Amino acid sequence: MRRAVGTTLVALAAIVVASPAHAHLVETGFGAFYDGIAHFAVSLADMLIVIALALFAGLRGTRAARHAMFALPAAWLVGGALGALWPTASIWPVSTTLSLALTGALVALDAKLSDASVTAFVIVAGALYGFVNGATMTPGGAGGLALLGAVCAIFFVNTILAAEVTVLPVGWPRIAVRVAGSWIAATGMLMLGWLARPTLA
Amino acid sequence: MSAGLRSWLLVVLALLSSGAAAHEMSMAEMEVRQISPREFLWQWTVSGNRPANEVLTPVWPDGCQDEDNIVRCGDAGLQGVLTIKGIGKVYSAAMIRVYWRDAPMSVYTIAAGQPRARLSGPSDGASPGPGAYLYLGIEHIMLGVDHLLFVLGLLLIVGDRWMLLKTITAFTVAHSITLAVATFGIAHVPAAPLNASIALSILFLGPEIVRRWRGETSFTIRHPWVVAFAFGLLHGFGFASGLAQLGLPDSQIPLALLLFNIGVEIGQLAFVFGILLLERSFRLLECHWPRLVERLPGYLVGTLGAFWTIQRVVILLRSVA
Repeated sequence: MRRAVGTTLVALAAIVVASPAHAHLVETGFGAFYDGIAHFAVSLADMLIVIALALFAGLRGTRAARHAMFALPAAWLVGGALGALWPTASIWPVSTTLSLALTGALVALDAKLSDASVTAFVIVAGALYGFVNGATMTPGGAGGLALLGAVCAIFFVNTILAAEVTVLPVGWPRIAVRVAGSWIAATGMLMLGWLARPTLA
Repeated sequence: MSAGLRSWLLVVLALLSSGAAAHEMSMAEMEVRQISPREFLWQWTVSGNRPANEVLTPVWPDGCQDEDNIVRCGDAGLQGVLTIKGIGKVYSAAMIRVYWRDAPMSVYTIAAGQPRARLSGPSDGASPGPGAYLYLGIEHIMLGVDHLLFVLGLLLIVGDRWMLLKTITAFTVAHSITLAVATFGIAHVPAAPLNASIALSILFLGPEIVRRWRGETSFTIRHPWVVAFAFGLLHGFGFASGLAQLGLPDSQIPLALLLFNIGVEIGQLAFVFGILLLERSFRLLECHWPRLVERLPGYLVGTLGAFWTIQRVVILLRSVA
């Protein structure tokens, strides 16, 4: 069982690290808006951070989740727009991976941060990922409509997940959420190890 | 209506006005005629607003060379994988008809979801593949902003879940009937009056939504499924326009009809469940929206319905004049 979990985490980390390599925009044939949604859906790193932030905000209650519902897409949109302006900027793999691991750890620990701190954390993480998103999507041919599509998908996933977590009863359902957080943290740490590999060699 | 709200609606109208053309499928058509055992003359026969030859480039099977719209192939003839560069941008799909000298015509469909066709010579069964029909159905509803807006209007009127189930089912049954009727060629409605009527169906829901806000009642509010069924018949003819452009051989119509309809349902149900999930989430998160935001979807249905009605009636009158 442990071996299976370990293998899954390594595989997940490898896929997440590999995702920037194929940052070209997914073509659904439905237009740029839907291309943006599809880009988010197939970008595992983006999906994981949104899930992690939604779980984190949801665990902190209705008010924090409500703030995160607006803060995350707004920060992602602003970050994405800035990233689109400087598409050649570095994609900052260490910063994004660190923020993923940190968010996972906060979920796993069920960290009792204030609503304002949760919102601030969500804004920083969202803007960071949004910037990378904008910087990688633009050279792939994405415009503002694709970014808007991705942000709408983020709003949808974050809102629904965070809302459902807020109503989870105390007991094993909340523990399951924390376990999911620990998996995300472990994935982030494995990614960090993967990123450090060339410098160690 | 406040100045702020009017400005908002103007911005929304400007952003969404392109949706008036949302019905028109961006399907290109290519004709390939065999002129000798190894030579084929090809040309784009149907294009949309932008000529297909400007944005689409066919990549012929290995062993075939294109020169001045004449494809010359080796001993194997026109066999192998055909792809079209540029599919999924201006044109969402392309239909290729191959006219053989000594065999029945073959038809292939290339779409973003199925970007290649395997040509296997004159004996080919000419099936575009079930995936293409399913994909076209999903695409038609996802890009058909007017259909989705009508469904949104129904969701805003319907009171409880049982009524919602009845209403959505009635809409589905109705548009399936007319989709089949139109696809089998039993009845046909010209595009201009049809599009104007579909816009009118959306406009019709606007005042009903306002009545519901005011706590008033009407036949539509009491029996939304009847209205959904009646207008669903119209929308079915609209869906049929997407399938009709494929120019299907008779033998393929039942399968294509079924899969296209399933595609439409997948898209429609995804939209309905998405709206319901968001509504539940807003309730769980105790969101108290300002009245303007709360009523924005209703205003969107009414104003866009009015805008499209005026626009499409003008197009209808121009076509008559």
